Amino acid sequence: MPYWYYDKKDLQNTPSFRDGISTDTENRYRKEGARFIIDTGSKMDLGYNTVATGVVYFHRFYMFHSFRTFPRYITACCCLFLAGKVEETPKKCKDIIKVAKSLLTEQKFASFGEDPKEEVMTLERILLQTIKFDLQVEHPYGYLLKYAKCLKGDKPKLQKMVQMAWTFVNDSLCTTLCLQWEPEVIAVALMFLAGKLSKFEVLDWNGRIPKHTAWWDMFVEDITMELLEDICHQVLDLYSPQPQSSGGDSPTGPPPAKVPKNDKKPLSVTPPTSASPVAAAAAKAVVTPNKNGAELKFEPPKLEPLRYTYPAYPGLAPPYAGPYAAPPPGLAPRLAPPPLLYAEPRFPPVNVPPPNYFPPLPGRGPPPPGPPPRPYYPPT
Amino acid sequence: MSGASTSQSPPPMASISDVSALFQNAKKYEELNVIGTGAYGTVYKARDLHNGGQIVAMKKVKVALTEDGIPLSTLREIALLRQLEAYRHPNIVRLLDVCHGGQSLERDQQLVLFLVFEHVDQDLESFLKRAPGPLSQNIIRSMSFDILSGIDFLHSHRIVHRDLKPHNLLVTSTGRVKLADFGLAKTYDTDMKLTSVVVTLWYRPPEVLLGAAYNTAVDVWSAGCVLAQLQARAPLLPGASDSDQLHCIFRLIGRPPRQEWPENVSIMLDSFPDYQAQDLGKIIPRTHPHALDLIKGMLVFDPAKRLTALDCLQHPYFTEEPLT
Repeated sequence: MPYWYYDKKDLQNTPSFRDGISTDTENRYRKEGARFIIDTGSKMDLGYNTVATGVVYFHRFYMFHSFRTFPRYITACCCLFLAGKVEETPKKCKDIIKVAKSLLTEQKFASFGEDPKEEVMTLERILLQTIKFDLQVEHPYGYLLKYAKCLKGDKPKLQKMVQMAWTFVNDSLCTTLCLQWEPEVIAVALMFLAGKLSKFEVLDWNGRIPKHTAWWDMFVEDITMELLEDICHQVLDLYSPQPQSSGGDSPTGPPPAKVPKNDKKPLSVTPPTSASPVAAAAAKAVVTPNKNGAELKFEPPKLEPLRYTYPAYPGLAPPYAGPYAAPPPGLAPRLAPPPLLYAEPRFPPVNVPPPNYFPPLPGRGPPPPGPPPRPYYPPT
Repeated sequence: MSGASTSQSPPPMASISDVSALFQNAKKYEELNVIGTGAYGTVYKARDLHNGGQIVAMKKVKVALTEDGIPLSTLREIALLRQLEAYRHPNIVRLLDVCHGGQSLERDQQLVLFLVFEHVDQDLESFLKRAPGPLSQNIIRSMSFDILSGIDFLHSHRIVHRDLKPHNLLVTSTGRVKLADFGLAKTYDTDMKLTSVVVTLWYRPPEVLLGAAYNTAVDVWSAGCVLAQLQARAPLLPGASDSDQLHCIFRLIGRPPRQEWPENVSIMLDSFPDYQAQDLGKIIPRTHPHALDLIKGMLVFDPAKRLTALDCLQHPYFTEEPLT
C-alpha cells in the first residue's frame, strides 16, 4: 500500500527540484495551486472535504511529477474534478473549466490548450495512476471537531478557538503539511496554535487520566513541543512575506540558468529551531512594516494577497449556503452567529504581523503588551 | 494547441501522452496464465516484477467511460476497497495495487483496470473437489467461522458481496478462508458483462431470484448454502435455471406463507406447489445439531427473519466450544 508521508529531505528533493525549479518557487506553485483549488471549489459550492481532498491529490501528484511537465492550474482542475467524484459531490468537467477560466488570467488559462476538457480527462488517468488509486483521504476537520468536544474551559473562547483552528486548517492546505503529518497531528497542532492566539485555556478534558500531561496525549501519542511548534510555524509562514522567487510565473519556460543544486538555502517551510516559532514569525514579519514607516500601517511588500474566500468554520459562516453551512456535528447548536470576519474581504488583503504580534508560547518570555487587531481574528 | 499560445508558454500538455509511457503496467506485472474468466473480467496469474517476482492475481476489469471520464461509482468502489485494505482483515483477500492499462488499451470509451490481489493457490471449489474424504468437523467449523467473519466485516463496512460461492472463497495453505471478488458490483453493472459466461445460481437467495429488493441478508443465504456444502461436499441447491432454483429452494425450506411473499414481484406464489419443509438433517446427515440449527437460521425465506452475519458468529455452534 502506498505511503504518503515524507520527511523534509524528500520534500526538498522533488521531481520539480530535480527539474531545475527552486524549492521556493515550487512552494509558491503549490500554494497557488492549492489556493486555486480552494477558490474554484468555493465558487462552485463544493464542500470543504471535497476541496481538501483535491488539494491533497495535488500535493501528492507533484511528489511524482515536475511542475515543468504538468502546469499547475490544469492539474488543480483535474484534482478538484476527481475529488468531486470521490466525495460524491460531482461537478461536470466543463463547469469546473468554466469557473477556472473566470478565475485565471488569459495567459495562465492558455496552459489548458485547445481542448481543455480533453486535457483534464487525459490527466485524470495520469492522476489516478500517480496517486495509485488511493482516493480516500482523511482531513483534520473531523478530528478538530472531535477533539474540541472533549475540551473544557470558557465556552465562548472555545468557540473562537475552534473557529480559528478551522481557518488554520483551511490555510494549512497551502503548505505541504498534508505530506508530512497525519490529519490527527495537524489538528492537534493547529488547535494548539489557535488556543494560544485566542487565549483559550484548557482547564480539563473529558477522558483525562493521570498520565496525560496535555489533552492531546489522549488522542495522539508522542507529540513533542518541537513538533507542534514546527507545524504551527509552517502555517504562520503563510502570513509572512514570501521571498519573490526567480522562478517566474510559468514553470514551462526555459529553466533558470542556475540550477539550484548547490543552493542550500533553508526550506522556506523550515522554521528556525532556536527561538519560539511565534516570536520568529513575528521577527521575520517586522521588517517590511518598519521599513514602510513608523506608524503601524501594514503595508505589505509585493506579495500575492492571501484571500480569505475559503469559508470559515461551517455553521459560522452564513454567506456560504452550500455544504459549508452544514453545522458541524454536535458543536453547532452551541455556537453563536459568526463575526463574519473570515469570509469578508473587508480587512487588508495581506497580513503582516507586527512585532510581538502573537503571544509567546509557554515559557517563552513575558506576555506582549496587548496584541494589535488581527485581520483574521475578530476584535473583542 | 494554437501557435500563439505555444510560443508564449511552451509545451503545456503536449507531453502528457509521453508521460503516460512512464506508467508501464505491463512492465510492472508479467502475465503468466489465465486463472479464471468470470462474468465481468479475466483473472490472470502474474509476476510482480518490482517485488522480487512475487506471484499475484491480476483481475482485469473493463470500465465504460462516461462523458465525464471514469464513473463515480467505480471510483467510489475502488476508494472503498483501498480503505478496507487498511484493516488487513484475515478473511479478506489482500488488494495489493490498482492500476490501469495504457492509452493503447483504451478503445471505444473503455478503460481497462487492473486490480492486483495476493495470489491464493486454491478456491473452496477445488479444495472440496480434491478433498479425499469428508472434512473433519473442526475444519468445517473453522472454515465456516472464517467465511462468516469475512462477511460480517464487509457488512460492517456497508458492502454486500452479492455473489458468494465456493469459487470466490479462497483457501490458503494453512486452511484459512478468504473472501474475494467483492466491492465492484456497481462497476460491473455498467454493461460490461460478458454474456457468454454462465453465472451459477446455486447460492442465490430467493429475493434475488424473484427480483425483489435485497440487502446484506443475501450474503447470509449464500453462506448458508456454502456451509451446507462444506458438510456434504456437494451443492445443496443445484438448480438448473432461475425457476428451477426457486423450486429447489422451496422443496427444501417449504413454500413460504403468503404474507411473506414480497410485493411487486412478477412471479406468483401460486405458481409453486405447496411444498412442505424437509428435514435438513436428512439431507446433510452426520452434521452437528448446532451446525444444522445455524444453517436453518441462514436459509430463511424472509430476509428480515434471516440471521445476520453477526448473529451467526455468536451462534452456539461457534461459542459452545472454543475454535481450535
